[in-house]
Formats: sequence, C-alpha cells, structure tokens
Amino acid sequence: MGETASMKPGNASLPEAGLHCALSARALVKRYKNSDHPALHDFNLDVQPGEFFGLLGPNGAGKTTAISILTGLFPPDSGVVRVMGMLFREKQNEIKQILGLVPQNIGLYDKLTAQENLAFFGKLFGISGKRLAERIQQSLVFARLTEHALQSVATFSTGMKRRLNLAVGLLNAPRVLVLDEPCVGIDAQSRHLIHAQLKNLNQRGTTILYTTHYIEEAQELCSRIGIIDNGRIVKEGTPAALLQQSGLANLEELFLHLTGKELRDS
Amino acid sequence: MLKISATIAKELLLLLRDRTGLLVLFLMPAILVVVITLVQENVMELTGQNKTLVLLLDQDQGELGSLLRKQLDAGNLELVVWDEKRHDSADLQAAVAGGEYQIGIVIPKGASSRFLEETERLFQQDNGTEKPKNIVTTSLRLFVDPGIMAGLRAGVTAQLQMSLTTIALEAKLAMLSRTLQGTLGTLGVPLDRTPLDGDKLPALFRQPMLNLTEDPGASRAAGGLAPYNPVQQNVPAWALFGMFFTAIPIAGSILQERRSGISIRLAALPVSLLVLFAGKAVAYIGVCLCQFLLIVLIGTFLFPHIGLPCFTISMHLTAVLLTVLLSSLAACGFGIFLGVACNSYEQASTLGATTVVAAAALGGVMVPVYAMPHAMQRLSIISPLNWGLTAFQDLLLRGYALPAILDNLGRLLLFFALTVLLSWKISRLRQ
Repeated sequence: MGETASMKPGNASLPEAGLHCALSARALVKRYKNSDHPALHDFNLDVQPGEFFGLLGPNGAGKTTAISILTGLFPPDSGVVRVMGMLFREKQNEIKQILGLVPQNIGLYDKLTAQENLAFFGKLFGISGKRLAERIQQSLVFARLTEHALQSVATFSTGMKRRLNLAVGLLNAPRVLVLDEPCVGIDAQSRHLIHAQLKNLNQRGTTILYTTHYIEEAQELCSRIGIIDNGRIVKEGTPAALLQQSGLANLEELFLHLTGKELRDS
Repeated sequence: MLKISATIAKELLLLLRDRTGLLVLFLMPAILVVVITLVQENVMELTGQNKTLVLLLDQDQGELGSLLRKQLDAGNLELVVWDEKRHDSADLQAAVAGGEYQIGIVIPKGASSRFLEETERLFQQDNGTEKPKNIVTTSLRLFVDPGIMAGLRAGVTAQLQMSLTTIALEAKLAMLSRTLQGTLGTLGVPLDRTPLDGDKLPALFRQPMLNLTEDPGASRAAGGLAPYNPVQQNVPAWALFGMFFTAIPIAGSILQERRSGISIRLAALPVSLLVLFAGKAVAYIGVCLCQFLLIVLIGTFLFPHIGLPCFTISMHLTAVLLTVLLSSLAACGFGIFLGVACNSYEQASTLGATTVVAAAALGGVMVPVYAMPHAMQRLSIISPLNWGLTAFQDLLLRGYALPAILDNLGRLLLFFALTVLLSWKISRLRQ
C-alpha cells in the first residue's frame, strides 16, 4: 500500500494509532482526478475486535472509497490503515489472509457453478485439499446453497447470488469482515438469512464493518454506527447513545439532520 | 503454483462453457486457411506457378500438330486436345475467353502441307539471292485468356514461339541435310560417318549443349523440403492469425471481470496481478497450441483431398513448437494489454480485430512481404506476426534450424514481456 504517514497537527502518534483495534484508519485523505472535492478528508475510524460496526452515509459520502482503502483495493493519498494492529503498507499479504471483503457488485463467475466459484476463490487464499473441501462445504451450508452447489451461478436468483457472494467472502474464515451493501436488491427471506448468519458470525468473534443505505438494517445489526458525509465521519456511537444525544425519535431523523435533505445524485 | 493452477483451471472451464466462442476460435482460422489457400492456388495458376492449361484444336491433322504436341508435352504446359470434328475455333475462343483455359491454339486446315512445301521451296531458290523471296509463313492462331497476368502471357507466348522455332529449325535442318546429301552425292563425296549421313543432323541439333542448373543451396526446395506452394505459406500464416485473434477473448475475459466486479474481489485477495495474468496466459497458450495443431492437421490430411498439396512439417520439430509457444505468448500478452487498456468489450473487440488484421497484412500473412512495396517491407518488421511467420518460413520453407530463428523468437518474447509489464503498470494506475 502507498499510505504515507504525513501527519497533521495533533496526530503526532499517528503511526502507533489503532494498534489494538481490529480495523483502524487515521487521517485518510483521498482525492480523485477531475474532482474538486476530496472523496475522503481526515477520515478516522476505529473498529474494536468483535464489534459489528455500521457505516451509514448518503450517495457520494465516501463509503465505497473508505471501504476500498480499508481493504487494500487502492492506497490513500495520505493516512494510515491498520488491520489487527498491522500496517497495511507493510503487511499487505498477511492482512489479506485474515480480511474478508463482500463487494457491492456480485463478484462471481456466472458460467461456473457455486462450487467451482468457491473452489477458485478458496485456492487464491492458498487453501487446498481437504481443508478447501471442508471450507466449501461449510460455505455452501452457510449460504443454504448445498442443493445448488453444482448449478451454474447464471441460473441463480439475485438472493442466491448475494448469499454466495457473502459465502465467498468467508472462505478464509476472516477475523475482519467488510461488507459493502450486501443486501441490495434481494427478497426479505434472503435478507433475513444473511442478517441471521452475520449476527451468528459476529457472536463467534468476527469483527464486522458493514455499509448500508438502510438505516433500520444498521439499527438491527450494528453495535455501533458511524455516519459518514463529505468524506469524514460526522457522528458515531451506539444506536441508543446517538438517539439519546440527539434527542431525535429515530435514526432516520438523525441521519437526515446530520446529512441534510438535499438529494444526493452523484 | 496453487494460485496459478487455479487460475488456469478457471479459465479453461470458462472457455469450455462458452462453446460458441470456442468454436469461433477454431473455426475461423480453419475456414480462412482452406478458403485462402484454394484462392491462392488459383492465383498461382494465373501467375503461372502451376501448369498452364493449353487447348489445342488441330483442324489440320497433319505433321505439324503431332510435332507441336511433342514439344508442348515437354514443357510446363498442360495440353488438352479437342476433337476437330466436334468443335470449331469459335468454341475454342469462347472457352479461353471464359477462363476455362489460359491459352488456345488452332492449327488451320492445310497448315502442315503448306509449312513443308514452303520449307522445301526455301532450299530450291536461286543460291545467288541474299534474301528468300515469296516464302509464305504458316500461321497458327493463338488465343489468350484476358484474365491472366502479363508476365504469364509473355512467358507462355515465348514458350510457344520457341516450340514453333524448334519445329521450323528441325524441318530446315532436315531439308538442308537432304539438299547437301543430294549435292555431295552427285559429286561422289562419301557421307558415311558424317553428320550428313541419313537424318542425323536434326538429332544432333536436339542435343543440349548449354543449360541453366539451379543451385540447390539457394533453392526454396533445399534440404529435401517441399517446394514453395501456398500450403507451406498459408498453414503457419493463418494458424498465427488465429492465435493472435485469441487476444480478443482474453481481453473480453479481463473486461468481464472488471465489469462484473470480480476484479474488485480479486484485488482484495492475497494474489498478485502477475499470477492472474500468468494463469490466463497459460490457459490461452493451450488454446493456441490446439489451434496450430488443428490447422496442421487440416494442411496434412484435408488439403490432399481437396486438390491442394499436402503440408509438410520440418524435421526441426522442437524449433517449430518453440515458435508456436512464443507466438502464443506474444498473442496472450497483447490480449492482456488490450483487456487492461480498453474500457469496454466493444472497444477491445474493434481495436483488437483491427490491430490483428493490420499486423497480419503488414506481417506477410495475406501477401508475402517480398511482394509488398519497399516502404511496407521495411515497416513489416514491426509486426509480431511477421516475426512469427518469418521464423516459420525459415523452418518450413528454407530448412533452417533453431539458431537461425532465435532473433525472431527473442522479439516475440520481448513483446510478451513488454505488454505484460505495460498491463501491470496500467492496472496499478487504474487503481
């Protein structure tokens, strides 16, 4: 990774920051070419081990950029990312072994079966033989796709694809799981199953960072929520604490209060 | 190794599931090599590299016809004789004008007797006269297919004229021999054991005294290889063309991964981009090898059944396989570069097809490099298809061994390395 430890005043201990967090970002800045505003600006985040953290934000707030940097898809212009205390720029391969990403797009090969997809991605994690066979079986059970293991993904419904997309992200039994809107466009049954399985995973110790548009979803799942706007976290805390501090009736009102009611079309 | 083998297996599975795409990859070069070779076989007829068909209508049925037939049979002309009772000169003219035969000759009725009479008269004239007087030249009628090239027209006409000159000269020598025999006989000069005894003179005339012998060291047919023909040129040329066309499905697979979001997942995995490129390259090298094998099998087993010469592979099999391998690598490198540099499949397929066709044309796949204008010949050296094709021609036509093609193999390897390096750099920049 290409993070730089360029420090802002007040961030003197930046390289050491987040050493005990499952996932930590300090002073992240990311500016895209041809854009006047930075996608991330002084973005700071600490996700504690075993936490289920929800990242909420309107379109264009910087959620996907933040997730991309946190999972090593591309480097920030400046700032530091640590996963389980390891600096991304120093331990990229080690971090990728313990990190799981469930991307917003269904990143699966349509012409391969569910089992073939799992086998391919599993091998890219370096898993093989009996261990791989076990992981594939566990993933299929997790996604309730055992009966469809030998079916081409092209024949799957969106819900089935989303479940398999999630299962692939869990092949390496990640200690930190990052999910980017994993329930977009699926039916209530699949969403219910995904939610239940994620809660189960979290209870067994997996740290989860979850981005969503759905406020009620975040409220149901997350132990802590961060609201992101204009490239930085503007508020964070437990759902109950956030409501108590704001004096508002629900999280949606708080969300609109913090991010405004103007349409975000970009 | 696990990661590369997983990528290879995945690519092969995806290829096998896309049966239409796979069929196109194999069918396209197979159809092209058959059609183009058949077409070029016809071009070789027009340029005279094959035997030229000559139609003869002998209305005379005399000595001249049989002498002419004997002369033409010895040359590179394939003689077809029509029955003068069933066809006339108008039929012959129509057959030649229609392209059925390249040359038509009509020997008019009475041509033989007139020719012999005039030859005899030539030697009965007043010996004091410097130039023969009132000798009538016997004319045969010649018809030439307007579709044949000027070079062939001139060559065949010269060959026919040479045949007629030989016939006339032999007749003159025979007549001279008889005249001298008569004159010397009346003077009592003994002719035994001299060239003037009997009909020895024309036979002595036919004895070749000067000849041109082709040096086998410089010949295309050197080293016991098959002589140059469109099959030896087209089998490797169109196999190469097909191999470079695999660049488009390679690019398509990269763009599909980018479009569907798979590339995001891959970027988050502990696997290098170069490993993913290598997996793709190895899988598609397998496809290229199968393509080459298919085209060779077509050249070897199908061509003889459709009237084409059989493809003969050189004995330097290792060098041939190395050329196939490095050409495949270059094609895969180009495909990876195309997939990384383009933004959509439409872009990649248009740019890829245009580039491969242009590189093939420039590289000598469609028209041999030596037949191109000088400027294009100099430009052809930039085409990777030219490097591959030149290496194949050196092995298959010129009979060279591995050391002679190392420069072109090096270029192909360097092209692969550069395209992969560029692709890796562009991918990093895209991030």
